[in-house]
Amino acid sequence: MTFTAPVLNYAQLAPMLIVLGGALIGVLIEAFGPRASRHASQLFITVASLVAAFAALVRVRNQSSVDAAMGSVGFDGAGVLLQGTILIIALLSVFLIADQENFTALAAAVPGSSEERESLQLDLRVTEVYPLTLFAVAGMLLFPVSTDLITLFVALEMLSLPLYLMAGLSRRRRLMSQESALKYFLLGAFSSAFLLFGVAYLYGYSNSVTFAGIQASITGGSGNDVFLLLGIAFISVGLLFKVGAVPFHAWSPDVYQGAPTAITGFMAAATKVAAFGAILRIFYVAFANAEWQWKPALVLIAIVTMVFGSVVAITQRDVKRMLAYSSIAHAGFLLAGVIALSKSGLDASIFYLFAYGIATVGAFGVVTLVRDSAGEVTDLNRWSGLGKRSPLVASVFAFFLLAFAGIPLTSGFIGKFSIFSAAYETGSTAILIAGVLSSAIAAFFYIRVIVLMFFKDPVEDGTSVVIPSALTTTTIAVTSLITLILGIFPAPLINFIESSAFFIR
Amino acid sequence: MLTIQTPEAVMFWFLAPLAVISAIGMLLVKKAVHSALLLAWVMITLAIFYIAQDALFLGIVQIVVYTGAVMMLFLFILMLVGVDASDSLTETIRGLRPIAITAALGFGGLLVSLIGRATLGREAAGLVDANSEGNVQALAKLLFSTYVWPFEVVSALLITAALGAMVLAHHQRSVPRATQREQAIARFRGASLGSAAGLPNPGVFARHNAVDVPALLPDGSAAPNSISATLKARGDMLESTQFELSEVDNTVTEEK
Repeated sequence: MTFTAPVLNYAQLAPMLIVLGGALIGVLIEAFGPRASRHASQLFITVASLVAAFAALVRVRNQSSVDAAMGSVGFDGAGVLLQGTILIIALLSVFLIADQENFTALAAAVPGSSEERESLQLDLRVTEVYPLTLFAVAGMLLFPVSTDLITLFVALEMLSLPLYLMAGLSRRRRLMSQESALKYFLLGAFSSAFLLFGVAYLYGYSNSVTFAGIQASITGGSGNDVFLLLGIAFISVGLLFKVGAVPFHAWSPDVYQGAPTAITGFMAAATKVAAFGAILRIFYVAFANAEWQWKPALVLIAIVTMVFGSVVAITQRDVKRMLAYSSIAHAGFLLAGVIALSKSGLDASIFYLFAYGIATVGAFGVVTLVRDSAGEVTDLNRWSGLGKRSPLVASVFAFFLLAFAGIPLTSGFIGKFSIFSAAYETGSTAILIAGVLSSAIAAFFYIRVIVLMFFKDPVEDGTSVVIPSALTTTTIAVTSLITLILGIFPAPLINFIESSAFFIR
Repeated sequence: MLTIQTPEAVMFWFLAPLAVISAIGMLLVKKAVHSALLLAWVMITLAIFYIAQDALFLGIVQIVVYTGAVMMLFLFILMLVGVDASDSLTETIRGLRPIAITAALGFGGLLVSLIGRATLGREAAGLVDANSEGNVQALAKLLFSTYVWPFEVVSALLITAALGAMVLAHHQRSVPRATQREQAIARFRGASLGSAAGLPNPGVFARHNAVDVPALLPDGSAAPNSISATLKARGDMLESTQFELSEVDNTVTEEK
């Protein structure tokens, strides 16, 4: 038997390898580093590896190859853009995570026990969140560039596992946080099983696990369409669960509410980019020629997701749950870009993902600031009159909400406009109508929150806005600035995406 | 061309229904241990199928790793939690169970009807072909050439799992455990020398010497530190006053 050694293109894999290396150093620091300096060194390693990974990505931005890792990883313009987006969002989220007020002092302590009190007095810190975040980021970087189903599955697990864990590490209301982590884990494992089931059917159909092989089988017309249909359906279940599309959304409000707010921001923004990246690649590359098999179902899911997310968000009384339902609605808008199945759809989706991810991190960053003596205040009633007491924080939050609503002069408007016009160009009128209608519904509840903050009298119950740490300030300032710039002057980014976004086949 | 020999067909039709029945039984039985044992049976059946289809290595791994290691961990944890512990099966949302059963039956029916009609559309390659260089060798070749990247990445997944287990389960001792020497010093330097010779034994001598009765101090009151804290917390402590001499019925009845 002859064995040819595998050839890996290390330059193109460098961003992932750097992030993984940073995570491993983080694990070693946890094992051997002195407790006093752990937080500072972990933060340094995390930020340094994210920045280094971004630099490594910039170095290879113009390369493209199907063979970055023996056919498992495809490296192309769209992949570079998605990976870059994930790295930027991760960096901004790490600044929020660095404010350890959000995390429990000792995850193993039973909530309410004397051990928990002691750990709080000793000011212990769960610095393991840094390597866990890096592992999740590495999985997210791999997810949108994987070009075979096995790598896709491994990447999915790699990004999910740390998130399941970190969702349960909230400092306050720990039982709710642990419940949300368990829910996320069980439902996530269930959806991964669906994805694997789909992988098995697609292998049966095409005799190949690579996207290119599946695409060749579809164009060749060989094989049985039942297997193809089942494979597409099950893989879609697994992927749509990650983005929280209806009817696979049930986990997201609970997990968004229970998880520490910094993790919620990271999860909401970066997971969505990674998962939509993978969805775009698999539907644009592998399933494009079987369009008529999946389009009707996906159109239906997109419309239901938009409408359900927007309508249910109206009734929410908790700001994190409201943002969760808003993210469900946004998943519906983003599916419009997948359904468009065109170059303009791809460009619009990538722009939307960038704009939405940045605004989401910023919005959750603001949520961490509104606190009372027992921790964060997420009850919307207690946010009333916030604009009179802390006009700056309330205005920044209002600005992010306007961006979610898609009001002109914010990045959200450009994103929504381009994604709906891409859907319209390819003839998906139903999507367009549903999208515009649910945007209008969504605008109602965003603006209701703004009215609540600025035109209601403040309640005197100890709710106050804390002075943010320097890192949190940086995140909120940078995200709001990017959201504003993309709203006023989006042309450079749009042109850049248009010139470089493509999927290699 | 892949041919299925009669013995294999007989084995399949004998084992497959058993596997399906035990898989369904796994969901229906009330006790967790029974469920785990049924799962073990499903895994063993699968391993036999793998071996019958020439995937020798996969079959052995299935038995060693899943049935051997993972299942034993399952049982181990069940024993730790308590074999008799049963889940609360009350529905928190009314009517959820019939809806779930209907949906599951519908979904299963849909799958069966679809897959029943499916054909592969081409000849299966067969494992004789894939195993021409040896089963383990062919697997190794794939793992270290074509799938080397996902294979390596899985290592990160395992590290994440280990780190996660540490985060969730590792207790940080806030104060170092007192050594025997420190404990002895503390006993003698304490507020009273009463504890220097050890705690008093429970029980009222000659009357009731069980562990759940506190000892009586010279003044007739109960000595609280003679009883284990666990028994006190559980409320399993008897009043020692009922064993005081004045309370005891001391009329003697003559026994024949």
